[in-house]
Amino acid sequence: MRITPDYSKEFEKLAEAYEKSGGDTSNLLDKRVASIIISGDKVIGLNNVDGVEIEAGKQELGVWAKIRILKGKKIPMPIHLCTGFLGKEGEQRVNFEFIIEDGATVSFVSHCSFPWSTKLTHKMTAIVRIGKNATMTYADAHFHSENGGVTLLSDTHAIVEENGKYKNSFELTRTRVGKLVVKMDVDLKDGAVADLESKVRGRADDDISIKESLGLNGKGSHGIAKSRIVATEKTRARIINEAFGNAAYSKGHIECTEITKGTDIDVATLPVLKVTNDLSELTHEASIGRINSKQLDTMMAKGMTEDEATEFIIKGMLS
Amino acid sequence: MLELKDVYLELGEKTILRKLNMKFEVGKRYTILGNNGTGKSTIANVIMGVEGYKPQSGRIYLDGDDITDLGVSQRAKLGITIAFQENVRFEGIKVYDYLTLGGKNKKSSDDVKKALKVVGLNEDYAKRYVDASLSGGERKRIELASVYMLDPKYVILDEPDSGIDMMSIDTINTFINHLRERNITVITITHREEIAIDCDYSYLICSGIVLKEGTPADISEYYKSMCDVCDHPNDIQLIREHDVV
Repeated sequence: MRITPDYSKEFEKLAEAYEKSGGDTSNLLDKRVASIIISGDKVIGLNNVDGVEIEAGKQELGVWAKIRILKGKKIPMPIHLCTGFLGKEGEQRVNFEFIIEDGATVSFVSHCSFPWSTKLTHKMTAIVRIGKNATMTYADAHFHSENGGVTLLSDTHAIVEENGKYKNSFELTRTRVGKLVVKMDVDLKDGAVADLESKVRGRADDDISIKESLGLNGKGSHGIAKSRIVATEKTRARIINEAFGNAAYSKGHIECTEITKGTDIDVATLPVLKVTNDLSELTHEASIGRINSKQLDTMMAKGMTEDEATEFIIKGMLS
Repeated sequence: MLELKDVYLELGEKTILRKLNMKFEVGKRYTILGNNGTGKSTIANVIMGVEGYKPQSGRIYLDGDDITDLGVSQRAKLGITIAFQENVRFEGIKVYDYLTLGGKNKKSSDDVKKALKVVGLNEDYAKRYVDASLSGGERKRIELASVYMLDPKYVILDEPDSGIDMMSIDTINTFINHLRERNITVITITHREEIAIDCDYSYLICSGIVLKEGTPADISEYYKSMCDVCDHPNDIQLIREHDVV
């Protein structure tokens, strides 16, 4: 990748944030790796490889990007998306469109880093179109500031065509959340498969809202939506997992586990299952509560304090 | 020495342990034998200091020091540990991290391999997760390996053969012998007399009292002949006989 010369210093700063979020900067500079680097409302780096077409540009308060994977192409190395905001206050809007053409296979590694922001609203919308027999894997890790001043509004709508596969994971576990509103809905056609997973750890007065929705609209489509939330101190969390069985032989499972610690938490989960085709099968699991006392006793009997055991168990759950 | 003196415990409105007296000397192997529901696992929880199992009366001593008021972690730090009967699962935690306590237990990867070998597992298990992908038997072995990785003075094995078909008594005995080589006191809780036979001293528990104690041969013989069909269906008679009201 070639970094636009005017932005070399900005890239250095962004690279620092990227590393903080667990990213490996060398991937952003590797010509064999397709990538896009967004800082505030600028695209400061972009690299395409065979089979990948990324177009991007500036828009009001942010950036738009259209990412196309050409028909039948198997992209060997994950595409890296680096989004950052280096200022303390402001708003950033990012609009993505992913088009994975029929038979293509691709994975994305996305890191969003806002480590120095005290009052930032980051709005992300994504349209995902996965073609017939195509596969897309998207791993999204967030790194926010520790003062809780980040508001993240994320809205994704995915359409997965016949026998397509979509796996999406969202992770915000290493820093304060701030305010988080994630909406994701998936429209699954015949034989399509979706696997959605969210892992979030709330502290202080973090506010977490997640709504994941599986539309099992195609015959034999399958979907799983899982949320793992740890809510401590004064965290507020509202998790809604939905599955709609609208087609024969479709199967869906939704699952929400919320671990709570502290007397001022405010946590709720709502599973919604709706079937309009009697050959569809939907299941759900949900739990809210403290860490299982048997798990704690087991670890404490090996010499861990209660706090150490709690941290050990939570880290595993969110790993 | 670990000693339970006149330990009395009620859970809810039910009396579980009645003036229980037991002694466990360093480096020896003990068995606590008894039918289901006689209070054996409760004894394990009382020794380990599990929340909710603090005796209403009686004391627990370790090398003469009263540890009755100490919690699980504190007792573990003094060298008491347990492999609970029910092996809980830990999502997202690899066997290697479980055995090394996420790095808290400063042991090498060779130590991990050795611990796995002692319980009949190969080193590839270190990369697996301590979750539902392990069978009950595998999970039991991992738990025993984790005990092996610690350097305790006293180990309680609560029904080490429970819930598993594949784990042979030989494996359990081999594991216990490895502990004994390190002069670790092993207290095995079981309802199977074939596990109880290979030890230095046995306690037979019935209705929360020590019904009989002594050599494993005597206790096992008595258990086999008398406890298959319980000779003490009437708790009150038993309690009066032993003066533990």
